[in-house]
Amino acid sequence: MKASAVERVIAGLKRAGVSVVCYLPDSLFKELYPALDADPDIRTIRVTNEGEGAAICGGVFLSGKRAALVMENSGLRASVEPLARMGLGAGIPVVMLMSYRGELGENNWWAIPHGITMEPVLDALRVPYRVVRQEEEIERAIVDAYAWSYSSYYHSAVALGGSIVR
Amino acid sequence: MKRYDCMKALAARLSDELVILSLGGSVDEWYNAAPHMRAASLFQQQLGCVTPEAFGLAVGLPHRRIVSLDTDGGLLFNLGILATLGNEQPKNLFVVVWDNESYQSIGGPPTHTASGRVDLAAIARGAGVEKAFTATTLDDFDAHCAAGLAAEEPYIVVAKVSGGVQPGIKRKHSDGREDKYIFVRHVEETEGIVIMGPSEHN
Repeated sequence: MKASAVERVIAGLKRAGVSVVCYLPDSLFKELYPALDADPDIRTIRVTNEGEGAAICGGVFLSGKRAALVMENSGLRASVEPLARMGLGAGIPVVMLMSYRGELGENNWWAIPHGITMEPVLDALRVPYRVVRQEEEIERAIVDAYAWSYSSYYHSAVALGGSIVR
Repeated sequence: MKRYDCMKALAARLSDELVILSLGGSVDEWYNAAPHMRAASLFQQQLGCVTPEAFGLAVGLPHRRIVSLDTDGGLLFNLGILATLGNEQPKNLFVVVWDNESYQSIGGPPTHTASGRVDLAAIARGAGVEKAFTATTLDDFDAHCAAGLAAEEPYIVVAKVSGGVQPGIKRKHSDGREDKYIFVRHVEETEGIVIMGPSEHN
């Protein structure tokens, strides 16, 4: 991930009012995590699995602060249970930013499941999302996701793919 | 030791705190044992989410004491949160684990703690939460509540309680969505903040 893309992600999170980020690190966002850790306006929380991160983000929502769950798209599968319960059962939203592993161009066999399952899992949960492959669209996509989630009180997602992460 | 008696002891110590609690019989018991805390309690119906949500709330409101009422089944669903608490060391989070050694809400099949080998407090200490204890008497539990509500580090008490739900208690009628609105409006009012505000246009 280029430094300029990392900057656009952090600018988008700040414009959306995010002050807490939960993450489980992955390789495509490798450069993003230390930048988030180093940012004085963002508290990062490392989690043991993405479902735990989703639940922590839900708790942050209840405090009035804004949180983001940052992860590889495989983490979506680990998050399905808390997302379904919090989102559909209580109306507690989580905004997710995920790297798009397994899309066309993927050259790791183990990442193919992530590409095949990401969009159907988002659709199964009725989570609207935007796949962003142009750096100049990152910031707007993140801001739009928060606007939507704080109107619907439901989850939304931004997946970064293409040359942004490769 | 009966869970309902423990709840009444804990409730007597609470006023300004915020509570997140787990599923099953404990929901209706807490609704009755702590009537003054109803709006300040978020009743959740999910395994594995209660303590993580309480931790998120504690991160967002560092000046406020947060209480998580979790269960053996709920904590076993996501033991990783103990390692996260061990590393993050929140100063305002008190976790109670109602350990009745069973999945009571579906009739009582045993959880892993029923074997006698699995010690949740020892797991918590191993995960870096040094103040993690097991209580087997009401006096012991009450003393841990006093200490846990005043602690400047994460504090966990695993309360070994008998199975069964307090008879004759009033059932809560609201669902998860209504519970969330009640809780959020309470947090807004007591914190003087807006969490779910008006839309741009009417």
